[in-house]
Amino acid sequence: MRLNRLLTVAAAAAWLLAAMACQSPPPAPDKASDAVPLTPDGVVDVGGIWQALGTAHWNLEAHAASAGPVPALGALGAIPAGMGVVVGGTIPYQPWAVEERDANAADWVARDPAVKCFMPGIPRAAYMPFPFQIVQGKDSIFVAYEFTSSTRIIHLDRPGTEAPLPSWMGYSLGHYEGASLVVDVTAQVPDTWFDSAGNFHSDELRVTERYTRVGPNLMQYEATIDDPKVFTEPWSIAMPLYRRQEDGARLLEFKCVEFAEEAVYGHLYATDEDEAGDG
Amino acid sequence: MRLNTHFGAALAAAITAGVALVPATADEAAEPMQTSWGVPDLQGNWDFRTITPFQRPESLADREFLTAEEVAEWEARAADSKAERDITPSPEADASQGDLDVGYNSFFIDTGTQTSPHMRTSLVVDPPNGRVPANTTGALWRMAENRETWSRSPRTPADRPPATRCLIGFNAGPPMVSSAYNNMMKLVQGPGYVAILNEMVNDHRIIPTGGGEAAPAHMRFWQGDSVGRWEGDKLVVETTNFRPETNFRGSGENMHLTEKFSRVDADTLRYEYTVNDPESFEAPFSVIHDMRRTDDDVYEYACHEGNVAMHLMLSGAREQERENPGAVDDTWLPTWFKGLPKKEDLLAAAAEEGSAGEGE
Repeated sequence: MRLNRLLTVAAAAAWLLAAMACQSPPPAPDKASDAVPLTPDGVVDVGGIWQALGTAHWNLEAHAASAGPVPALGALGAIPAGMGVVVGGTIPYQPWAVEERDANAADWVARDPAVKCFMPGIPRAAYMPFPFQIVQGKDSIFVAYEFTSSTRIIHLDRPGTEAPLPSWMGYSLGHYEGASLVVDVTAQVPDTWFDSAGNFHSDELRVTERYTRVGPNLMQYEATIDDPKVFTEPWSIAMPLYRRQEDGARLLEFKCVEFAEEAVYGHLYATDEDEAGDG
Repeated sequence: MRLNTHFGAALAAAITAGVALVPATADEAAEPMQTSWGVPDLQGNWDFRTITPFQRPESLADREFLTAEEVAEWEARAADSKAERDITPSPEADASQGDLDVGYNSFFIDTGTQTSPHMRTSLVVDPPNGRVPANTTGALWRMAENRETWSRSPRTPADRPPATRCLIGFNAGPPMVSSAYNNMMKLVQGPGYVAILNEMVNDHRIIPTGGGEAAPAHMRFWQGDSVGRWEGDKLVVETTNFRPETNFRGSGENMHLTEKFSRVDADTLRYEYTVNDPESFEAPFSVIHDMRRTDDDVYEYACHEGNVAMHLMLSGAREQERENPGAVDDTWLPTWFKGLPKKEDLLAAAAEEGSAGEGE
């Protein structure tokens, strides 16, 4: 009640100031465009550099803090707690699949494709602890993710088409629904995970993403995950995406291949013995 | 205004080239080719395959343009050779040089069948002889170091070229060049940004178009740091801050690349660039490389994810060491790297130059 009153007073003051500055009455506000920032083409503006906060990339489900896999990193390598982003709290795995997930979790470092610097797929790319940038064209939307410098194209001009072949980042068809960009993602390879807790999918994965502008610097992200091979029913995750606002905010290069090579190929590296020919 | 400028340029080019001018229809020319926020619209999927040589061949030393007959002849020859290309499955590995060079047959090589729309005898337009200026001694020494590293069996992936490690595509640049395959890119624009996605290894750049400063000099990037601005109908992009491993015909980390993108017509994107790198070349040089619109899609190139070759190279190298400990084996060098200078030759040449200097 008190807050409402304060807001009303603040709004009135803002109008008054604006009116004084203009020396003429302000134009009547257009409710629709006030609520939803639009592009010059008249659709919801989703452009910019965005990033998820939180710990969904560690584990989509609620989890307490735990030790990390590299003791040398100490506290900085530990995994922070999170309340989870799964709507309803639990991923509805089929019985065999929950066992598979647990086996993944137990052997996480060796199995997680992101450790190897592989493209994270959708939805994981959206909440890796790295920013991503949306360049919003009229017929195509280009999305670049800082993690492993991966990319995807969201096609706006070819509804109903199918991917000619599967890929790591999938085949994305988008359309606008009011304040939302809705993207249907199909044809992803089965090799990506949803997080570092072993949550996984099959080649029948179908993801429906919804990016909804809810403020000047805030976008709600929802993804519905449908995969009848692995889950008993479709399920959803939801989290806010925040605009990176610092001066000079930009997407930088994170070509992580060179950081992951030892993890991927280390067992094939030459030792000093090999080189000296004493082996 | 735009129409006149382009028409004039086309007319001048046509007269110089000595060919009949076929003017664009009024409808095509009048197409606004502007985005809804009022900047030139460069968007599309662009094919930069070309059979026009990068440098002017000696046989055409005094000629800037091809005749229409020559274009027809070159393109017919390229089409014939494409039709005759090898579509049989690759033979069993035989450890011949050809086998070491490429793991696939000519079916997969796709440099197109068309000359560049500008009908020039080379993509290099400056210096006027159409040739890339000589590399400096420093650049030659870097090449010799690479030759040495790349010719021995790899201890780790760092002993292989960046493209073999899937760190950067061999034709994605910048600058983009027509090479063995994946010679296409997608350009998407949003207010304030131009995104360029090369099919090769998914290399991409998001270029701010409002100008600004490059990143601090100590920050180095595989594709450099690009800052763009609009100059009339052209997008001008300045790129600096390259990694030392980034190498365009011997360029070094301090290459300053200036690229210009503009529309010639609805189906042609003009891509011009100037390489300024006095540490690596005796003089700057400039290129005009027109790209053609294509309806083909740009596909995902999961290079690192599928890099079986790196596993094979490293395990092969270890096997080699077990079989023949301490042996030096330079069969790792493919044909196209065999032209790189050798350190001993550079040192011998320098010594000769030094003694010649003393004799004067």
